[in-house]
Amino acid sequence: MHIPDGFLATPVWLALDVGAAPAVGLLARRARQDFDESRIPLLGVMGAFVFAAQMVNFPVAPGASGHLVGSALLAYTLGPAAASLVMTAILVIQAFVFQDGGVLALGANIFNMAIAGVLAAHLPYRLLGGRRMGVFLGGMLSVLVGAFLALGQLLLSGIPMKPELLALSAGLFFVNAAAEGVITVAALGAIRGIRPGWVQEISPPGKRELWLFGGAAVALAVFGVLIASPLPDGLERFLEEAGVAARAKALITTPFGDYEAAFFRAGWLRKAAAGLAGLALISACGWATGRWLARRRRA
Amino acid sequence: MHHVVLDRWSRGRSFIHARDARAKLAAVVALLVAIATVPPGRYEPVAAAWALVCLAAALARLPVWGLAWRAALVLPFSAVFAAMSWLSGDPARGAALAAKSYASAFAVIFLLSVTPFPELCRAAEWFRAPRMLILLMQFIYRYLFVISGEAQHMWLASHCRGGSRGARFRAAAGAVGVLFARSYQRAEGIQRAMFARGFRGRFETLAARRFGGADFAFLLGALLLIGAARAGGGWLWRR
Repeated sequence: MHIPDGFLATPVWLALDVGAAPAVGLLARRARQDFDESRIPLLGVMGAFVFAAQMVNFPVAPGASGHLVGSALLAYTLGPAAASLVMTAILVIQAFVFQDGGVLALGANIFNMAIAGVLAAHLPYRLLGGRRMGVFLGGMLSVLVGAFLALGQLLLSGIPMKPELLALSAGLFFVNAAAEGVITVAALGAIRGIRPGWVQEISPPGKRELWLFGGAAVALAVFGVLIASPLPDGLERFLEEAGVAARAKALITTPFGDYEAAFFRAGWLRKAAAGLAGLALISACGWATGRWLARRRRA
Repeated sequence: MHHVVLDRWSRGRSFIHARDARAKLAAVVALLVAIATVPPGRYEPVAAAWALVCLAAALARLPVWGLAWRAALVLPFSAVFAAMSWLSGDPARGAALAAKSYASAFAVIFLLSVTPFPELCRAAEWFRAPRMLILLMQFIYRYLFVISGEAQHMWLASHCRGGSRGARFRAAAGAVGVLFARSYQRAEGIQRAMFARGFRGRFETLAARRFGGADFAFLLGALLLIGAARAGGGWLWRR
């Protein structure tokens, strides 16, 4: 979703422009380590490829078609830093030549699609060692993260949106994101079939990276819940306004209802313990499913 | 195609076409800031800024209706959010969103219509944009025509073979794969050819453009008029 000029509040676009400028400088420096300047023609032509690939329509449902966005595909073929830089160049051309996104909103669009979008595409691919599921999740997240960040920036700029419209937008984003995931898997499979060397092979993450991600997840679960907004989310607000929430009844009571551990007295401890317990439960489920899948594959 | 027309317009001859790209870029960014900082509910400064660009387009001997039509590309997106604001009980904000985004797109199209893209890239480099990014933009812009042409040929070939409309998913994925392969091979060829001709990661120009007195006067005049439009748009409107 390209945000045009005139949509974002001045503090929002200004902060994102100021933040994106050094980030693009860093990306350029990082990309130069992988691709020296004499290889820029290659990156440039691949950027033109993304433009052209967006013209190929994929049937995604009966009577509906979608097209590739391409940031995930670039990340898996050129590497994340070069892909981010190519996406930045594409966004600048789209803003100036095709009126797709604004010039002052470039910082926001670069942050959403070229930085966060490419990073969101790269992480599952990296963590799942380049497996098909990682490609699908990466393609999906690249669209989803960019779209939700844009929606958040528009809300932050004071653009009024009714909860039901927000829910509808979120639904459409999910459909688009799933289509991008499927298209990325299919396109990457076709590229691998032509010449496997064009796809960046990723080794499974090392212990250090797993500890790093694990630490970040624990920190988010313990401290993230403390700074989370106390306001209801879009669906809860919609249910409250529609009067459904008042009629809802809890069928069972659990020790972690409302994301609070009932057996602690201090407020912050209740929230932190609930976050940590949730993380432990999800990790255990993930570990057990992984073991079961691995055993089935060996059998 | 849209960018082919803009490219042709940008090579015209007029006082504004002849000005340094840095002056034009700075003036348009100032105009965009002026439009973006107009509070919701006030339309006069936006209208005054838009009228200013129309006047400049007429001075540059550009078809104002053509520009206006092309700037309307931004309206489908704006209309969705304008409708959302209207449905959420704030029609004034919805109208302001549509007006501001349209006026901003009009100003950017005007800039591209009086400045060739490579000159704009050189101006951005002067404003300290990373050189690698600028080079990438120039290559993407140059090969956009070539690779898009290739994609259109592939689409036509598949259409002639009875594909396209009901094209199966796997066939479309294969088309993207083949397009990638052709683009990559073409890119490697271009890279080798440029390297053989002495390309070392920089475009050399024969003469650097000078920022002359006329450019300085143009920038000063533009900034004064933009300031007047932003501050006094309401006053002019009420007269």
